[in-house]
Amino acid sequence: MRNIIRVARREYIETVKTWTFILGLVVVPVVLGGLILFGDRLGPDQNASRAPIRVGVTNPSAELLAKIQAVFEEYNKSHPRGPVALVEVDGDEPAEQQGKQMLRQDRLDACVAFEGDLEGGQGEMRFYTYKLKSSEIDALWTVERLIRDAIISRRYETRGLDRAIVQAITSVATERIELGEEQGQERVQDQNHQMARMMIPFAFMYLIFIGIVGMGQHLVSSIIEEKNSRIIEVLLSVVSPFRLMAGKIMGLAAVGLTVVALWGVMGYTIARWQGIKIDISGDLIAYGLVYYVLGFLLFSAVLAGVGSICNTLKETQSLLMPIMLIFVVPIMAGVKLVQSPNGDLARVLSFVPPTTPMVMILRLSSGSEIWTGEVVLSIVVLAAGVLATLWAAAKIFRTGILMYGKRPGPREIARWLFER
Amino acid sequence: MYGFLGPNGAGKTTTLRMVMDIIRPDSGTLRLFGQAASCVPRSRIGYMPEERGLYRKMTVSAVLAYFASLKGVAGAELRTHVAQWLERIALAEHANRKVEELSRGMHQKLQFAVTVINSPDLVILDEPFSGLDPVNQDLLRQIITEMRDAGKTVLFSTHVMHEAERLCDFLVLINRGRVVVDGTLDEIRRGHDSHTVSVELEDDGEFVRTLPLVQEVRPEGRRLEMRLRDGADPQELLRTLVARTRVRAFETKQPSLHEIFVRLVGAGDAEHH
Repeated sequence: MRNIIRVARREYIETVKTWTFILGLVVVPVVLGGLILFGDRLGPDQNASRAPIRVGVTNPSAELLAKIQAVFEEYNKSHPRGPVALVEVDGDEPAEQQGKQMLRQDRLDACVAFEGDLEGGQGEMRFYTYKLKSSEIDALWTVERLIRDAIISRRYETRGLDRAIVQAITSVATERIELGEEQGQERVQDQNHQMARMMIPFAFMYLIFIGIVGMGQHLVSSIIEEKNSRIIEVLLSVVSPFRLMAGKIMGLAAVGLTVVALWGVMGYTIARWQGIKIDISGDLIAYGLVYYVLGFLLFSAVLAGVGSICNTLKETQSLLMPIMLIFVVPIMAGVKLVQSPNGDLARVLSFVPPTTPMVMILRLSSGSEIWTGEVVLSIVVLAAGVLATLWAAAKIFRTGILMYGKRPGPREIARWLFER
Repeated sequence: MYGFLGPNGAGKTTTLRMVMDIIRPDSGTLRLFGQAASCVPRSRIGYMPEERGLYRKMTVSAVLAYFASLKGVAGAELRTHVAQWLERIALAEHANRKVEELSRGMHQKLQFAVTVINSPDLVILDEPFSGLDPVNQDLLRQIITEMRDAGKTVLFSTHVMHEAERLCDFLVLINRGRVVVDGTLDEIRRGHDSHTVSVELEDDGEFVRTLPLVQEVRPEGRRLEMRLRDGADPQELLRTLVARTRVRAFETKQPSLHEIFVRLVGAGDAEHH
């Protein structure tokens, strides 16, 4: 046991003091935090200047055309650097055809064709574009909104209704307030805050994922390094293969815990600072630890087995690809899982060992009621999966780690599994 | 000091790995210090494999300390052992350098120190001298000899026959996983006396080809090398030669380990094919 700890300690120290690790530890939260804090500034820049968007409209009534003109002018007053311009569609062809032709000749950026009695509530409007640039999409949505607004205004006018009155009737002022634990502690929340709260379970799951999968990469490269630099035989003359593997896994699990704890604390601090309340109970931390450790053992046992039979990182990557896909399922299904943490998908994935830790943490942190029996059962299933994988990995590791050159085939590996 | 010899692919490394319990034998048992090999604590054996390496990013003293601690050396003893061995292999001034910055010879010496830092009872060295300059070879030889004198068993595996001849008290030669010959150097030589005699005669010595004692004659410069028939006595040959001509030089030749090796392995392979 002492040697397992010694191997683990070396693994921990040697991993933690590398530059790549320290960089990753700092850079990831800084980038993520930056995105959260300054994300709104990274969105479409309202002040950036761009050429006017040229819009042609066909077959409007004189009133509608005047309304559109008025709406555009209003808009241009508040957005002088990104204006919209109404361009006359003229030519020998029917108006709609002519408009399309002008689009193709790059004399227009958008062409809007009206059909039927739009102002009376019938008919439709067709919005034509040609070779749409992604940078223009946002502006074109604005144009669409402005024209729709002009049509709605015309509809009020033709019915003799005052739009201001209707607006006064339909708008209901709302304030979203989250109560604090103490009396009188209240905080107004906007929609972004509520979105952020929805993402919390996802953040927990992501932390576990990074802790497990991110550290796994270190494990593989450490095994490959020992194999390639021929340290392995020297090591095996001092510690047994199982202890070596156990020590490595323990050391890197500790590294992973350090990362998860640091990032967790950072995330929590940022969230609190932004006024997002996160409930972290002792139970959640305890479950988090159990699921993390078991999940890490499972993943790293797989990696140790795979790493031991490969000679280069490239080889391991191609072998790990299909395995990684299983571990990534909860991340891909994240939104669905957050929306229904007790749905069928979440329940099924809770009992598939590679996805259990992430899905269970997501469900537990989502605040929904989960029957304790389900939690216990998922831990039992996961633990059984871990034991089986560790057993197989130890067998493969023992022989694979000393093999150089050709990678063994499935049959050979199966033979190792049932060797004495 | 025990020499473990054999051609490439004879099974030397496999045998040593089984001794170290790195791999298990398919059949049979392996005993060390009177007990099953797998029950012997690994710290009693120091193994320097032929495929060797150290953590390149660690410092010299850290590597030494790490392996010493894995072998059960701890506390103050650990520090003194590391310092003593760094001094002994003349790497003390490089203690804080990274392993990757060392020359090949220094690397080799460090590897040796890693193997023996806890004074194991049995030291297994696979090609310990490869990559060392003559000065460092002497240093290592001296340390190995001291370990033998201190009562440790040194098992050393090599292809370099004159190294084995020079250092080993006892030899074993294996081929295709089986022992071909074992014993002290003298015993092995006696058992494989090549019955070769080298003589220098005053005349051309054509007559020796007709002697019943002689199987084969080969000119070697001014000398003649003769292989005698089995059971022939070199003394009788000398008497015969003296009776016929003047003998300037007469030498019975001892076969070198190299010759015995080539002969035994060659014979084994011929038999096999």
